[in-house]
Amino acid sequence: MLGDIASVIVDGALISAVYALIAIGFTMVFGVGGVLNLAHGALIMAGAYTYLSLVSDSILASVTLHPIVAFPLTIVVVGLISYGLYVVLVRTIEENVVITFLATIVVAIAFTELVTLVFHAQPYQYSVVPGVLQVQALGTRILYVELAAFVVSWVAMGLLWYYVTKTDSGRSIRATSTSERGAMLTGVDVSGVRARTWLVAGGLAGIAGVFLGGIGAAEPTMWLEPLALAFIIVVVGGIGSIKGSVAAAYIVGYLQTATGQFLGQSVRGIMSLVVLVVVLLVLPQGLYGTEFVHE
Amino acid sequence: MADPTSTPSDRSTAYTNSIGRRSFVRAAGASAALGLFAGCSSDGGGGGENPDGGGGIAETVTIGHLAPLNNPLGVGSKRSAEMAVAEINDDGGIADQTVELVTKDTRASPSEARTVAGELVRQEEVDAIVGTFSSEVTQSIMDLVSEFNTPFLVTGSAAPSTVTEFVASDYERYKNTFRVGPVNSHFQAEVISQYASHLSDRHGWNTFAVVADDAEWTTVFRNRLVDLLKEADLDVPMVNGLATDTTSFGSVLDDVDEVGVDAMFRFFAHINGGPMAARWARGEYEFGIEGVHVASMLPAYYELTEGAAAYETTTQSGAAGVTDITSKTVPFTEAYMEAYGDADDPPSKPMYMGFVTYDAIHVFKNAAERAGTVDQENNLDTIVDALLQTDFTGVAGQIQFYGADETYAHDLREERDSDGVITNYPLTQWREDGSLECVYPEGLQTAEHAAPPWMG
Repeated sequence: MLGDIASVIVDGALISAVYALIAIGFTMVFGVGGVLNLAHGALIMAGAYTYLSLVSDSILASVTLHPIVAFPLTIVVVGLISYGLYVVLVRTIEENVVITFLATIVVAIAFTELVTLVFHAQPYQYSVVPGVLQVQALGTRILYVELAAFVVSWVAMGLLWYYVTKTDSGRSIRATSTSERGAMLTGVDVSGVRARTWLVAGGLAGIAGVFLGGIGAAEPTMWLEPLALAFIIVVVGGIGSIKGSVAAAYIVGYLQTATGQFLGQSVRGIMSLVVLVVVLLVLPQGLYGTEFVHE
Repeated sequence: MADPTSTPSDRSTAYTNSIGRRSFVRAAGASAALGLFAGCSSDGGGGGENPDGGGGIAETVTIGHLAPLNNPLGVGSKRSAEMAVAEINDDGGIADQTVELVTKDTRASPSEARTVAGELVRQEEVDAIVGTFSSEVTQSIMDLVSEFNTPFLVTGSAAPSTVTEFVASDYERYKNTFRVGPVNSHFQAEVISQYASHLSDRHGWNTFAVVADDAEWTTVFRNRLVDLLKEADLDVPMVNGLATDTTSFGSVLDDVDEVGVDAMFRFFAHINGGPMAARWARGEYEFGIEGVHVASMLPAYYELTEGAAAYETTTQSGAAGVTDITSKTVPFTEAYMEAYGDADDPPSKPMYMGFVTYDAIHVFKNAAERAGTVDQENNLDTIVDALLQTDFTGVAGQIQFYGADETYAHDLREERDSDGVITNYPLTQWREDGSLECVYPEGLQTAEHAAPPWMG
């Protein structure tokens, strides 16, 4: 029993950090532009497949990079895909919320088709950081890739925190998220801010994708669950709030892990849905929703 | 493997094809390589004399094929069907009539399956339907297909209810349906329990955990298998169902480890157990991973898991063509690999549904020739009688059906050796060097089962 609790604490902490990374990108894009980007999951998948293509000799025989090189390159590539998605598609239609919403779904599905076409419906596994840590006392084994995911996610979140609180470029993102009109009046280039936000959100999704694929496998449906979780986390945390996303990611991550451990793996997803409903009824603005004033 | 669904990533275009030119040429080439098969079916075929009057065999015989083409299993089945048809045509067709194959994509969805099955029976007016992957898909089209009296040879799904709740319970209505393979999951559970005894003899493994997809097809493993294992004096301290979208396995393996078993029987068709194998191999968990795992049947599975698959086993009809189940098994697999081994899209081997579909088309050919008709509208009983007489040496085994009055009416008969061991549902094991060996039953073994080297 004690071992079970300990492994819930460890497992929950590890996976929640990745969930937080996904949710932050999702919530930032919504915060600054009001765009519900359902292609966010596709960016996660892009991270996994980009990394896979760069490190594995079975995909592109001529390209096999060391993970140290492939990892940052993947983040850049996915960031640019996200940026391109905004500049090419979303920017021209973002005034119409419904069309934008539908367009991002179409992008997500099209991307799934593309991946199926190129990589086929086979699950690819790849290693990011090989090896495993035996934790005898807890009766569990932690993959190094899970530890790496935890550490890298928190470093990324720390850097993001620094960026949005200490730099002008980052603060303009927060300003736009708080009040677009206010930001405009103080001379912020709102369009540039939105594009930057997509770039950052894409980079974060890329990191999450590399690790989710490394812990599980890269496959054409791998984006569905993370996207659904990001959705739940963002609502629970308060739409547009970075702090809320981190807190809610941990709530959802722990609920999932604990439910799986104590009530059975077949119902592990249910509790987070219950929390979603409760939050929507009792606290519709979410945990930290007041931070964000939508105009 | 009753209900393996594929990914929900449905292709947006319905896959409707008569055989495309390229694949046709490939299939024809493969069938030429298979010339040794021509006319060597063990039940002889009936020759092509059409009886006068009623029925007779029309200009062309059209066979409909249903499979999820967004899943490599479905693609393997389609290619195998094309090979069977090309081969039959090379050998003079069915009663001298050319055979045409029409494949439609079910996308692993019951509603899509109903739509495309409707097209097959109404527009294409097919003379028989072969295929269907999950039991939900199979059962969703049985009413429709039976209305048109179309002989329906199921090749990919294994829930016993397909025969017990349909054919056996309302014979007049569903007598058009036969299951060509794999053996239904009632017998699959028996195979696993016999295999457990084999592992007990070989390694002294006596304690087993059962972990399964939380889905209909695994019910028999969570119940009957557990009873059978206990009857064989084997311990089963843990039976666990996992959500079909499970992707994290840390606590699953820890739980199995905690109860201390010698091997874990996992039954995964929906779940991809590859990441679990990776965690198991890296963490050197002190138990074997055995059972049924659809992803593990992918010919590329070893590469896809970067070698983590080594030492895991799965059952699969046809044993991936690595052993001489019959004299036809290996030549067929080689012909398939010759034609498709280098194709861009997987699978590079037929996979279990391919073996069974290939056999099903031959079974239908022979039955149609015995019956002297494919006119199911007027002569369904004649065709059903002819199918019931089937005793065909296929690539997946000897094919015979249970009779009309038996519990598993029209279902594939399990084959047993002199000790009562079921032999037509073999197990394969991935090895350290990426090869695949047939490890059970003993009569088909290419190698003994190997325990993971990290197990003391």
